[in-house]
Amino acid sequence: MNILILNGAPLNGRGAAGRKIAEAVANESRVKGWNVTAYELDGMAIKPCRGCFACWLKHPGTCAIKDDEEPLLRSIVASDIEVWVSPVTFGGYSPALKKALDRSIPNILPFFTKRHGEVHHPHRYDKRRSFLAFGTLPSPDPEAERIFHTLVRRNAINLDSIRTDSHVFYDGAGEAGVAGRVRELLEAAGEAR
Amino acid sequence: MNARTDGTTDKRKALLLVGSPRGKSSASQSIGSTLFRKLEAGGMEIEEMTVSAALQSTENQHRMHKAVDAADLVVVAFPLYVDQLPAPLIQTLELIAERRQGTLVASPSAGPLVQKLAAIVQCGFPETHQNQTAVDIMRRFAKEAGFAWAGALAMGMGGALGGRPLEKAGGMVRNVVKALDMAAASLAVGGDIPEEASRLMARPLMPRWLYFLAANWGFRREIKKHGARKRVYDRRQGADSRERPAEARRSDS
Repeated sequence: MNILILNGAPLNGRGAAGRKIAEAVANESRVKGWNVTAYELDGMAIKPCRGCFACWLKHPGTCAIKDDEEPLLRSIVASDIEVWVSPVTFGGYSPALKKALDRSIPNILPFFTKRHGEVHHPHRYDKRRSFLAFGTLPSPDPEAERIFHTLVRRNAINLDSIRTDSHVFYDGAGEAGVAGRVRELLEAAGEAR
Repeated sequence: MNARTDGTTDKRKALLLVGSPRGKSSASQSIGSTLFRKLEAGGMEIEEMTVSAALQSTENQHRMHKAVDAADLVVVAFPLYVDQLPAPLIQTLELIAERRQGTLVASPSAGPLVQKLAAIVQCGFPETHQNQTAVDIMRRFAKEAGFAWAGALAMGMGGALGGRPLEKAGGMVRNVVKALDMAAASLAVGGDIPEEASRLMARPLMPRWLYFLAANWGFRREIKKHGARKRVYDRRQGADSRERPAEARRSDS
């Protein structure tokens, strides 16, 4: 089983909670004997998507920008479970995580298809995967959490994921609590494969 | 309008922030600019800037903060990217929110008493409701950054505009133009975007089946034009997924 962790936590102190979660995901996965590939996105050389659509129309499947996103795209294709970690930012994801996601469109096709009664893009690669998203917040915030969980559900439709779960941890969450919840969701994601 | 001794006027000010990576050639710019010409005609002083320009240098960021501080109304126009805002726009909103949270605590009277924020969101899918999470994120940003929320105009089928000025897009945008007229009339006098304007904006530009067919035909035409027909379903990028890249921040086990 290949686990891919995209950690969008900032490298400063605000990212400490995210790093703790990413570490727990990696540790719990290794205990199960799964392969772990982890990216700390903040500080990586990933430029923002230009919206040029060359990856669809000029050289399909390959982005026009050559930077650290290239290996990340290959890791997505190889993964069985994709795990995103991010501080909840206005209810959504951090710029670091979002930059990597915006640049992932070479992995989909330009054409339209119908999924769950809506129009979406088909995937370039056949393999489907489970998807987990972990958010961090300083303290409970029902409105931001509702937006975050809704966003993850929207992404799950686009990703056509096999199983999707999301969870928001608050600052100060104990290591045992984080590890326990992570283990539970990883097991469910693994069983769905 | 009255002139002040420092040369400024007491006209209400509106700032358009374009969050599309395609900047001035984008559908977001086209829709946003059309609204802003109407706001200008309604007596507002207008300014437009793109997020990519604002992030280019510290000097440009400073200009953006000054423009945000001075604005009675900020309108953010952007395309839907992966179900929400494009990354550089999130980064820009973080900068604005962090600065304002500091400024509002230190100096509550830094800008106009009530600053309003509205959003224009468009996506390439035919369903307008796919923009809803992005609208929720913008509303949440307004709350965190101390703006009064003035509402949103969201539309699907943005691909049909092709980045053209709205006046060159023909009859299919008649509801969009009506929605912008209604929104401008209200925003120019300090009001919110009327619900009727949001409803009109959300209407499909053409039958869903026609947009679906036209989009797929358009993609194929562009691919052929670029000589990429044989590579449409190319999987070379992912085929070598066992390659081990050497960048520093990746860890494998």
